[in-house]
Amino acid sequence: MPRVSALEMDDVPMGQLPPHIQLQRTRVFCASDAPTQTENIQYSGAYASMGVDNSFRLDDFVKNFRVEVARLDEDDIEFDMIGIDAALANAFRRILIAEVPTMAIEKVLFANNTSVIPDEVLAHRLGLIPIKADPRLFEYMSVKSDQLEWLPNGSEFQLVTDNSTSNSNSNSKPKTYTSFSRSQTSLPEFSEDSIALKHNDITIAKLGPGQVVLLENVEDEKAEELVKKCPVNVFDIEDIGEGKRRATVARPRACTLCRECIRGDDWENRVALRRVKNHFIFTIESSGALPPEVLFTEAVKVLESKCEQHTSVIWTDLTEDNGSTELKLVIANQKA
Amino acid sequence: MDSQPEPVSYICGDCGMENTLKPGDVIQCRECGYRILYKKRTRRIVQYEAR
Amino acid sequence: MVSIEYTKGSHGDITVATKKDVIIGRLPIMLRSRCCVLNLRDEAELARLGECPLDPGGYFVVKGTEKVILIQEQLSKNRIIIDKDSKGHLIASVTSSTDAIKSKTVFILDKEKIRVVLNQFIKPIPIMVIMKAMGIESDQEVVQMIGRDPRYGVLLLPSIQECVEENVYTQQQALEYLETKVKRFSFSYGSVEKEGRALSIIRDVFLANVLVRDLHFRPKCIYVAVILRRMMEAVLNKDAIDDKDYVGNKRLELSGQMISLLFEDLFKTMNSEVKKSTDNLLEKSSRSSKLDISQHLARDIITHGLERAISTGNWDVKRFKMHRKGMTQVVLRLSFIATVGHMTRILPQFEKSRKVSGPRALQPSQWGMLCPCDTPEGEACGLVKNLSLMTHVTTDDEEGPLISLCHSLGVEDLELLSGEELHAPNSFLVMFNGLILGKHRKPQHFATALRKLRRAGIIGEFVSVFVNEKQKCIYIASDGGRVCRPLVIADKGISRVKEHHMKELKVGIRTFNDFLRDGLIEYLDVNEQNNALIALYEGEAVPETTHVEIEPFTILGVCAGLIPFPHHNQSPRNTYQCAMGKQAMGNIAYNQLCRMDSLLYLLVYPQRPLLTTRTIELVGYDKLGAGQNATVAVMSYSGYDIEDAIVMNKSSLDRGFGRCIVTKKLTAINQKYANNTMDRIIRPQRVGRDAERMQILDDDGLAAPGEIIRPYDIYINKQSPINKEISVHSPAGLPDSAYKSAIQTYKGPRGETAVVDRVALTSDKDNNLCIKFLIRHTRRPELGDKFSSRHGQKGVCGTIIQQEDFPFSERGICPDLIMNPHGFPSRMTIGKMIELLGGKAGVSCGRFHYGSAFGEPSGHADRVEVISETLVKHGFSYSGKDFIYSGITGSPLQAYIFMGPIYYQKLKHMVLDKMHARASGPRVMLTRQPTEGRSRDGGLRLGEMERDCLIAYGASMLIYERLMVSSDPFEVQVCRACGLLGYYNYKLKAGICSTCKNGDNISTMKLPYACKLLFQELQSMNIVPRLKLAEA
Repeated sequence: MPRVSALEMDDVPMGQLPPHIQLQRTRVFCASDAPTQTENIQYSGAYASMGVDNSFRLDDFVKNFRVEVARLDEDDIEFDMIGIDAALANAFRRILIAEVPTMAIEKVLFANNTSVIPDEVLAHRLGLIPIKADPRLFEYMSVKSDQLEWLPNGSEFQLVTDNSTSNSNSNSKPKTYTSFSRSQTSLPEFSEDSIALKHNDITIAKLGPGQVVLLENVEDEKAEELVKKCPVNVFDIEDIGEGKRRATVARPRACTLCRECIRGDDWENRVALRRVKNHFIFTIESSGALPPEVLFTEAVKVLESKCEQHTSVIWTDLTEDNGSTELKLVIANQKA
Repeated sequence: MDSQPEPVSYICGDCGMENTLKPGDVIQCRECGYRILYKKRTRRIVQYEAR
Repeated sequence: MVSIEYTKGSHGDITVATKKDVIIGRLPIMLRSRCCVLNLRDEAELARLGECPLDPGGYFVVKGTEKVILIQEQLSKNRIIIDKDSKGHLIASVTSSTDAIKSKTVFILDKEKIRVVLNQFIKPIPIMVIMKAMGIESDQEVVQMIGRDPRYGVLLLPSIQECVEENVYTQQQALEYLETKVKRFSFSYGSVEKEGRALSIIRDVFLANVLVRDLHFRPKCIYVAVILRRMMEAVLNKDAIDDKDYVGNKRLELSGQMISLLFEDLFKTMNSEVKKSTDNLLEKSSRSSKLDISQHLARDIITHGLERAISTGNWDVKRFKMHRKGMTQVVLRLSFIATVGHMTRILPQFEKSRKVSGPRALQPSQWGMLCPCDTPEGEACGLVKNLSLMTHVTTDDEEGPLISLCHSLGVEDLELLSGEELHAPNSFLVMFNGLILGKHRKPQHFATALRKLRRAGIIGEFVSVFVNEKQKCIYIASDGGRVCRPLVIADKGISRVKEHHMKELKVGIRTFNDFLRDGLIEYLDVNEQNNALIALYEGEAVPETTHVEIEPFTILGVCAGLIPFPHHNQSPRNTYQCAMGKQAMGNIAYNQLCRMDSLLYLLVYPQRPLLTTRTIELVGYDKLGAGQNATVAVMSYSGYDIEDAIVMNKSSLDRGFGRCIVTKKLTAINQKYANNTMDRIIRPQRVGRDAERMQILDDDGLAAPGEIIRPYDIYINKQSPINKEISVHSPAGLPDSAYKSAIQTYKGPRGETAVVDRVALTSDKDNNLCIKFLIRHTRRPELGDKFSSRHGQKGVCGTIIQQEDFPFSERGICPDLIMNPHGFPSRMTIGKMIELLGGKAGVSCGRFHYGSAFGEPSGHADRVEVISETLVKHGFSYSGKDFIYSGITGSPLQAYIFMGPIYYQKLKHMVLDKMHARASGPRVMLTRQPTEGRSRDGGLRLGEMERDCLIAYGASMLIYERLMVSSDPFEVQVCRACGLLGYYNYKLKAGICSTCKNGDNISTMKLPYACKLLFQELQSMNIVPRLKLAEA
């Protein structure tokens, strides 16, 4: 019998991955003990033996990448990013946390403070208040997240707040004491100012990559049990005729990955909890200065400028570089 | 330099009265006789980093 | 203190004059005691007085410092304790304590002979001699009194024989025999007095607690007989030996007793002083006015005596030969819980730093009385204890009414009983506070009758009745210092506290005292607990049950009560937390910002623990917390988390996690001197050399509050006169040149700035102007600061990492800190895990969860199952483990991570206070070596062991460099001829040997200065160290 490579056997389809490997490539397996297959397979030749090219293709990306906004209101946006690598999605998250500027008080001058809160604590608290001002209208020196240095027009703005802070504290008027607790709108000086405070307490962005639950025909009473099991109502029951019913995933977005559905007995064999690797649910909660959608575009801009910075460096070193131009194109595409 | 320094006022720890003391005065509130006086907060502006 | 005093008139016409309200002295008053102004004040009133309503009180304020008189633990007084001494002899000891005298009588069984050891006798006295001296000449009577069991007779025989050998048959002979054994103190005693010495010792010192009236020795004889009987029982049966560590054999001496003892002594001293001064006055022939004793009352003796004793902690009562040190301590104000814990501390009386395990071990009888967890580690482990939550320490109760009550309840008087009847079967001896009252034929009946009276409130609620079946005794105790605790009374296994009672309690109609008064609850001391069958819960009661526990978590003290789920932890962890809870920073009191403590650690944003216990609510820890609820992820991260280090989230620190304020007090005194000159504080010069360091000064020369102070800044511009002794005619008009600068500078950590918080001006007791500066420093956590959870899991901050790099959960939650899971397996702190689960459930459902000790059956602690259900309901995994993404790559982690809130404490040990490095710096004058210690900017010592390493390695040049070049190099001139040190003559520019008187053989070499010093010191002792030099 001639020796045939396993990959060249008849039932191995060429040019496409076997289903289980395809699953491993695209899904994170959330087993009851630990998640597996969490990493993205980066290597372009990972599946070369099966005739599958795993390299990152810009055209494919452009074709497959989708952004779907699920919810958008004044402070919150929830949108899906589908068909993007975890590293890139994470880059947006990191940029949103650290590099998209928000306005905050940097220096506080105290003329008088006879409240119970010591000066430096009060200063710290003031520093935590998000200011409703568009930071794009201001300029800063460097983009480094931890040392935002402000230009004169920025510090000018601070002076305004500083004075008002100190004024509100002078002569220890009791109304100012309580105003520090959560809402800052009660500071009257700010409300008159064009640069207002945002009355929300919470600041920065959150990210929760997407999730999908796949199901393997759970039927009848077991199905009902499953529906009951999940505390966040992910499942529904669907009639599939002949008196048989099966559970379906009705609300995959509601899943919090509590893993209740795969707990106990052999539930893990009936329910496969997996998540799509390149589907991300982004939730951005704005501190209020900018609408959340603008925040995200800002983040994209930051990444873009970073890429440009890198490409320029690389361009000077090498004559050609594909990756960065690709990235640039990605961003251009995304903005569109 | 030699001129008598202008007296600094202090706040009584009990009744909150302002007292002015000259060097050598007894430390006592003129109003209530309380014997602990506190200095008033500086009038200069102090700068803090909001962090 | 005010007292009514009575004085007498003069010579011929003796009149009785009464003076009311004469002050004989002033007594420090315990805060919140009945005499204190703060007693029974409500919260608003206390706030108006500037006091914290949660402050426990129980301490004294003496000379401006808060002092606690710690509870002293000692063996019971006036009780027979059978024990074995170090040589294995059986001994019975009675420590007698009466108003007049304290004595210790020891009966020792040595080689089958029983002897009495008393301080006043030079050697042990045979017991039969004593009995004969007390008038019982017949041996048969002694045997009868002990009991007619032939075994007792056999045991007593050697003692009787010994007595015969000494030829003592009658009382007279016995006394004469004793007379020869009496210790002679001095020559002063006359021969007349001598006659009665032995008798008086037997009467007054020997078993002093049994009073002898008119040489009526019978009670004492019976007492001795009972002791002997107990000893013989112990010989026959090892179980009859008493346990010294048994809590029932111990008494706790509270501050009231300590102060009364001291006061008595001081009062007597004052009386004798008054007598002395009057005698002096009367001796004088020429008296101008009539004698009025009231004029001679010295009120300072009591005032100063008490003040000194409390402020130094030295109790010297000469009358009772008492010299105790360290009785008082400054109240710990590190955290609120440290203060409360300090009030419950019990100091051992003796047995310090001995390697004995017995007294250190946990005694089963400590149950409910002393906290099983709260004890220090190390030297005092197990010796220093703490009271449990509901413990009550009794005070002395009146004896007279109780004795007569006993008699009317059918106690047959001792006087009417013959020796034979004493130990008749079926009758029990009745012992009252260590005294034998008589006997009773129906012991159980008698005990129940007394208990009924107690529950009805006719006799004091702290009187204990204890029937000892083994010893056939009924012990009634009303003395002070017994520890007792409340229990619910049950009749035939049914609790007296019913549902409607609890409802009334909740509504507020009923208080704890009502329960006590209505006979639903009673206090039992350790001994009486032996007569009770106590059910843990009402449901577990059986028909024989007499009592039901109020709540099992009350067996723990205040400090251990803070731990959630302590019953799930390995026990030493709880002990560690008890020690650490006292170091946690948080709130001290509501009035913490008005206080002027010399050192104060405060947390900027203290929180109430998410997982509370009932103890926390009872104590008020939820109002004055010392920690913050941190979201903790239990995972490995970055490698900077080994050895219990924790990784902290930088953004959390930005938001104020673990931020603390440290305030320090600096004091300056404007001194007055003997020559009428005094220090002066002058206006700072605004220009010139020191102007920059004087920026924060006001025109009065004092730093202004609110100013930022940097190290080396001057905070008081003081000058003191150069001439302090010789009197000056016009102290005010001294020229400026007569003063030298005595500025005080702030010495803080370099590179850090602090703030002047408050400046107070007062005058001290010598009427000097005293200025106190409170310096405030706000710190954010940094690398190396110490943190701890409430489960004895301390760790330092290993690294601080940006939030972007931190892992985050499905919901975008980022932990505040990351703890390494290796902290769990060996520590076995399951309680911490449950705290995490409970905290997480609490956060998601908005209800504070409980974790009281042993609280699951009674609903004071949430069960893990219920917590898990809550978690599932809110979309978390039942296990508390979350699906976590890496913050660095954005992809999920290959494990579910246990994450949730845990209450974390910041401990007072901070890097900023400890870090120290130095290159060159100050040196000690004598040895010219670098100084020692951080406070003196000292060098880092290369110690013996390090030196050994270098020697072993052979790094000789490094040793040379460390031990001499960098330490105390010194150039000496050595005379090669005589080997002694010479000197360098700068005129001749040559070294000269002072011994040889020439400079011919001088060599120059380097030596540690300490070595040169040693040579000189040896020389001064007539030892000649000679150096022999050779070419290197």
